[in-house]
Amino acid sequence: MNLVQKAVENGGKLAPLVIKEGLSKGTGLMNPSIFIDDNGDILVNLRHVNYTLYHSENTQKFPSRWGPLSYLHPEKDINLRTTNYLMKLDKDLMVTNHTLIDTSELDVEPLWEFVGLEDARLIKWDNKYYVCGVRRDTTTNGVGRMELSELNIDMDNFTAKEVSRLRIPAPGNDNSYCEKNWYPVLDKPYHFIKWTAPTELVRTYPDEPARCEQVFHRDSLKVPADQRGGSQLIKFGNLYLSVTHEVNLFHNYLSQKDGIYRHRLCVWDDDLNLVGISPEPFSFLDARIEFAAGAAILNGDLLISFGFQDNAAFILKVPNVILNEMVQEALSYEFN
Amino acid sequence: MNSIESLIEAASHDMFNPVLNFEIAKKYEELEQTASAVSFYLRAAEYGYESNPVIVYTSLIKMAHCFEDQSGREHSVSNALLQAIQYMPARPEAYFLLSRFYERSQKWQECYTFAEMGMMYTTRLDKLPADVEYPGAFVLLFEKSVSAWWLGRKEESLEIFKNLLEQDIPDYYRSTIQYNIDKISPNATV
Repeated sequence: MNLVQKAVENGGKLAPLVIKEGLSKGTGLMNPSIFIDDNGDILVNLRHVNYTLYHSENTQKFPSRWGPLSYLHPEKDINLRTTNYLMKLDKDLMVTNHTLIDTSELDVEPLWEFVGLEDARLIKWDNKYYVCGVRRDTTTNGVGRMELSELNIDMDNFTAKEVSRLRIPAPGNDNSYCEKNWYPVLDKPYHFIKWTAPTELVRTYPDEPARCEQVFHRDSLKVPADQRGGSQLIKFGNLYLSVTHEVNLFHNYLSQKDGIYRHRLCVWDDDLNLVGISPEPFSFLDARIEFAAGAAILNGDLLISFGFQDNAAFILKVPNVILNEMVQEALSYEFN
Repeated sequence: MNSIESLIEAASHDMFNPVLNFEIAKKYEELEQTASAVSFYLRAAEYGYESNPVIVYTSLIKMAHCFEDQSGREHSVSNALLQAIQYMPARPEAYFLLSRFYERSQKWQECYTFAEMGMMYTTRLDKLPADVEYPGAFVLLFEKSVSAWWLGRKEESLEIFKNLLEQDIPDYYRSTIQYNIDKISPNATV
């Protein structure tokens, strides 16, 4: 049973995120990241891309010209471009406001084909709003680094402007090719889980010079598959929760790429030890490509924001009874 | 009318059902969210391959419409229409749409060829579950006539146009045909 069905059958809700017709030119709205502000405002960062992800499922009778999994960008523009929208939702998870995040003051000419801040998580640290995702357009070979962008949000007029941008080096000698999917610890400013298991916690700083240091790297619960971020790490009673993904990337006999993504709930104790994980991976809506980039607790229920095949975006309300069940299942996990 | 939310919540227990995926796709297309629509049309096509041929055929055509709306994805438009023809070769709609696609890109031989091929299957009348922009068999003749002129077959083109004017066709086509006749042969009597 997929998680949406389980949640809805138990009083949960699925809310699609769309923006006004005409603004998106029809291409993908994906990988939303939800965040609940101190005053209860429900905010979401929604990624908009200039492509349509094409993914044949089942027995793959109808692949694209480029294979079963391909990014259908404009044929005369090979760039995969991302922009981000900030949204505000009401208590029923309906979109009440949305605005394109204005990045114009800090944008520079891109040097690589993946343009923009990808899979950004929405955060508030030290009373400042940030989006933090991976950017790969600053070098000619696509080196990826997490970037922390501070947003100036005008809630009255509902506008959002990027006012600073910090490219975070990898801890240590900073020589890796691509850093992505670090997930922010919402109640520990500038801290990220870089790896789930074994667990690596890193700390960065909001000011120049950009720097990053390892806080700890420790053994953890043995997990059944490599877990990648993921939602933010959020507080739940005396525990922390995160929704992580695992991916099986492969090629067919024609060397065309394909993949399957699945998710798990990770449970952490107060010292950020991983103490539980869903024994079985779950799907949201039974698509092979799904991606969760946000989570929040609202009145005891878990809100998870996720993308469907890079083409659609949703918020799922998982009712408290199911959430507690999932947490208990995760805590009962034993590695075989 | 059902919202996206209610359609997907209702479908969540049976996300591999081609009809449910098709209904979700149509709703997204109505909202001009064509990437989302493509996802669900493609699922309808893949999961309906053995069980729901008309849904599959219609979904592939609708995907072509979605790519056309997004613009700049011509290979994806033609690929989806070719897949529709390959899946259900004895229906006229995808032939017409591919012929029209080639007319718009001024590939006259392709336009003529697919119009001619589609005309072999115009007697089939069972309805598709969504509008695919195929108003009737006369549009195949229209495409054939337009492309014929560009292929140097002026008399053939003129004859088809004149015959079309004797049929009950929409005003838009009637005025376009009259305009073409006036251009091709200003002194022609109709």
